[in-house]
Amino acid sequence: MPPIIEENKCSHCGLCVDVCSEDVFFGSKKKQVPQITYPHECVYCNACVEECPVKGAIRLRLPLPMMLMYKPA
Amino acid sequence: MEIERFQADVLCVGGGIGGLMAAMRASELGAKAVVAEKGNATHSGKGGGGCDHYLCYIPEVHGPDMDAYIAEMLQTQQRHNFEGLGMKRIRVHIANTFDMVKMWDSWGIPMKYDGEYHFAGHAFPGGFRCLMKYGGRKQKPILTKKALEKGVEIVNRVMVFDLVSDGEKVCGAIGMDTRDDKIVLFEAKSVILGTGGISRLYPSPTPGWFNNIATRLSLTGDGRAMAYRAGAELQNVEMRIQHAGPKYYARFGQATWIGVFRDPHDKPIGPFVTKPERLYGDITPEVNKNIFLEYAQEGRGPVYIDGRGMSQEDLDYMMYWLPHEGNTPLIEHMKEEGIDYLKHPVEFMTYDHGSGGRIVTNDRAETSLKGLYAVGDELANGVSNASVFGWISGERAAQYAKQADTPDGNKINKMINEKKTLAEKIRGRKNGPDWKEVNVALQQIMSDYAGPLRTEALLDAGLYHLRRLKQKALDTMMAGNQHELGRSLEVLNMIDIGELVFIGSKDRKETRGLFIRPDYPLTNPRVNNNVHVIKKVDEKPVTQWRPMQK
Repeated sequence: MPPIIEENKCSHCGLCVDVCSEDVFFGSKKKQVPQITYPHECVYCNACVEECPVKGAIRLRLPLPMMLMYKPA
Repeated sequence: MEIERFQADVLCVGGGIGGLMAAMRASELGAKAVVAEKGNATHSGKGGGGCDHYLCYIPEVHGPDMDAYIAEMLQTQQRHNFEGLGMKRIRVHIANTFDMVKMWDSWGIPMKYDGEYHFAGHAFPGGFRCLMKYGGRKQKPILTKKALEKGVEIVNRVMVFDLVSDGEKVCGAIGMDTRDDKIVLFEAKSVILGTGGISRLYPSPTPGWFNNIATRLSLTGDGRAMAYRAGAELQNVEMRIQHAGPKYYARFGQATWIGVFRDPHDKPIGPFVTKPERLYGDITPEVNKNIFLEYAQEGRGPVYIDGRGMSQEDLDYMMYWLPHEGNTPLIEHMKEEGIDYLKHPVEFMTYDHGSGGRIVTNDRAETSLKGLYAVGDELANGVSNASVFGWISGERAAQYAKQADTPDGNKINKMINEKKTLAEKIRGRKNGPDWKEVNVALQQIMSDYAGPLRTEALLDAGLYHLRRLKQKALDTMMAGNQHELGRSLEVLNMIDIGELVFIGSKDRKETRGLFIRPDYPLTNPRVNNNVHVIKKVDEKPVTQWRPMQK
């Protein structure tokens, strides 16, 4: 479930923890890789990705029930 | 539990667009303005992920007749946003939109496209294009920064869940810190509720999931629930809202997609366009939001938004706006899955989008309680509405606060003790249902007993079940920490609103639009220009039909 943090890229700045409106990262400790405590409360708003200063350190994975239904070519 | 206190002339509950605009204006006028935000104002609220369209009237673009613009706008989905507000309010809103746009542009929110004000989407071919395209992706970080520059104090991670009131005027609010074991008290001369709509009263497209929603999990009707409990009037709470978007992916942006809605045999489902038109889109679902559901129920689906035949330039244009409308994760998903929109039409669906209704306000955003104002979705949907009435309410509240009394300490202390006891009970339990369990139970009662078809028998049965659920929630719900306590209080707010949906539905003895009473199939023309008001009198809900403000 989203979001996904690349631990080796994360700079431990805590910005994602600060800005998440749903507090998906509740309980995260300062200066550590954030913990994804409530993945089922993520609404895929992308705030954590937008605010992250390190490209590729955090991304969202769209869960399977939300995959787009499209017409084959 | 420790108690933290704040004092304000103007307290804005909710740091969305309405709340921030209100706080900025109040602060400009010399009031001490405090924003209490449940999450973090930087990305909170319905506009927290961005937006790409702003309802705006410019005489040089649309002509000098503002009422002609309004008449056109009311033929689109905007008619739902303004339902029950009256023409005076609509005129106040529309007349102020261009000033807001110019102000936002000067603050760094890009309101122009290619150097010009650009109108597109949500439009009938040949008619006015009422919606301005704008780059709202970073609107919330920009507005938050601006509010801080203007001297607004923002208190993040506090869920305000009750107003301090003597039944006539409001003089503060009580909240709960959503991270630390703390009660937060706001002694305030005036309060502006900008708390958003209701996202989790009805099920999402994915059964049992709360987070597949177009808005936010944390938008739970807190403002209208606490306004009702404090004695303020609500209107049309029983009305339904349907939304349309990509199948199983509840998200805004229906009109950001450029294409033609087509059935499985490539036949357009609407009469408006036969090829992708970037300036108009396909407005069919704004005439009937239920159309995708109807096709599904009648075995005529699926229905697709079909972009085949559009130019690469048009696709680039659409892909430019989708991130502003909060759809970056969608674009990433399409890339990962190899979905080329020029080749693959995408299925659309209709889904429940919370419950309708609003707090009763006048054209100055004042509610029926002195010192209490409502903005944003608590007043009317849309970024444009939130910004205009946010600004107006901030001005009114700042003026009111100059002559308002200092809040009554005894009354506040009594309320704190009541709320503290409730919070400590929920936190103190070691066993019992958590908020999710109560929320699922609430959703199934709402969708089965106050859903698309509502009869007296169903409503009576459902209200009985809901009241049992409420008592069980109060007696047994548990929360392991402050975050879960906040979610629990949200569910209690939604149960209160759910109860009003049942009571309002029972009293609306007619069928109107998506509100269907098989036992009262006629639309009652005698209440066409009325609003259905509900308020608490002697601890009981009382309903009343009242002529709409002219």
